[in-house]
Amino acid sequence: MKWLQKLITWARIKSPWIIHFNTGACNACDIEIVAALTPRYDIERFGILLKGTPRHADVLMCSGPVTRQIRDRLVRIYEQMPEPKFVVAVGTCACSGGVFKGCYNVKGGIDAAIPVSAYIPGCPARPEAIIDGVVKLLTSLQGAKPAPIADCGLQNADCPVGGQGAACPDLSGRRGGCSPQKAGLE
Amino acid sequence: MAWSLFNLLIFPGFLFLFVFGLAMEFVDRKLYARLQNRIGPPWFQPFADFVKLAAKEDIIPEEADSVMFRLMPAFALASVVTAFFYIPLWSTQSLFSFNGDLIVVIYLLTIPTLTFFLAGWHSTSLFSMIGATRTLTQLFAYEVPLFMAILAPALLAGTWSLSEMTVFYDQHPAYAAFNIIGLIVSLIALQGKLERVPFDIPEAETEIVGGTFTEYSGRFLAMFRIAIDIEAVVGASLIAAVFLPFGLGLGAAWGFVFYLVKVLAVIALLALLRTVLARLRIEQMVIFCWRIVAPAALFQLLINLILSGVLRP
Repeated sequence: MKWLQKLITWARIKSPWIIHFNTGACNACDIEIVAALTPRYDIERFGILLKGTPRHADVLMCSGPVTRQIRDRLVRIYEQMPEPKFVVAVGTCACSGGVFKGCYNVKGGIDAAIPVSAYIPGCPARPEAIIDGVVKLLTSLQGAKPAPIADCGLQNADCPVGGQGAACPDLSGRRGGCSPQKAGLE
Repeated sequence: MAWSLFNLLIFPGFLFLFVFGLAMEFVDRKLYARLQNRIGPPWFQPFADFVKLAAKEDIIPEEADSVMFRLMPAFALASVVTAFFYIPLWSTQSLFSFNGDLIVVIYLLTIPTLTFFLAGWHSTSLFSMIGATRTLTQLFAYEVPLFMAILAPALLAGTWSLSEMTVFYDQHPAYAAFNIIGLIVSLIALQGKLERVPFDIPEAETEIVGGTFTEYSGRFLAMFRIAIDIEAVVGASLIAAVFLPFGLGLGAAWGFVFYLVKVLAVIALLALLRTVLARLRIEQMVIFCWRIVAPAALFQLLINLILSGVLRP
């Protein structure tokens, strides 16, 4: 059944449907994402379609730092998506928290709440960079080496459960943010 | 027995329709892209979408009625494939035919819309229920004009069988010109049946996220998508058989080429409609269908009633 697995991987790379979610961005990254969806950039060439519901989507595009208020909603939307799913953090704030890092109401980057598959830095990230990031994420599925999954960025000493393979409290204990296998990306 | 199975599963049946439906989805999407000055998706795009969806996780919401949720995509697919067998494609004879199969085909093409409604309703999610009620509201608006537009040529031919109708129009090709209003009406109604712009109100993603299919994922969504693709092909074939009965007596090979050209032309017209128009609101759609499209279909019916008295003593 190796050819079937190959066919499925091929189909996943060729048909990424995205959903866009603003986790507290200043709207600059959102406008760049919307710009990337216009006919000028024509991302349907890569099979990318924007979907309204998380049930149809494969890639969750998040922009902005995770605020305390949005965190639960973000996790809920992430868990509504069917496996296999990927998360792309668009913009510097989504990657690390950016200028908002350390604010009383900000948890940090997207990886403070859910596992992230690709980071696209930039303030805001250009449409070309966003398209490049998504295409790179998906083509990395094909290669022999596992997809570049970032862990949550915390060192073992800082991790509340001791890191590496332990159940992650940020994800309701369902899947560990630091284990590529559990994130459905093996 | 073996021949029937072959018909059912391979040639005019499921496999052929699957490939043809995906090809027509590609044509539609590519044309749409080219009309927007884009490059558009590659030729394998609908197939890649189908495989990806089929390999994804299926989520059935806890609140949903899981039996109805699973059954509805299969019903939609089965009814559109069945409808295809009664339509004459490249000759004047369809695979199966009896007197009255026109009505059966029209009703079989209504079943997918009803499954969309039931699927949305039994998903028990707010957005899918709004989408479901809109689907049904829209059904009542376009279905009556479609029925009248397709029954008008049957009145002129004096038969309720699609095959006998195509025989009649093959003998009198000039009579097809009388049905031009019916052709326009049925194109508009088909666009509504396929729930595409400007009639994509039930799945308006900017208002009600995904409409009837909000809760669908994985295999079930893939089945619904392929059912809609096949419905487009079957609807286009029905319009080609009823309103464009040309090149049917030329043998199988040329007949097939003519058939492909006719279906492509209908799909291209639908793609053009989708590009140049924007989504209507639900009440605008209902008003448009009842005030403009339905009277036009009635007018066509009147013309054909008078003509059938004059031309067919």
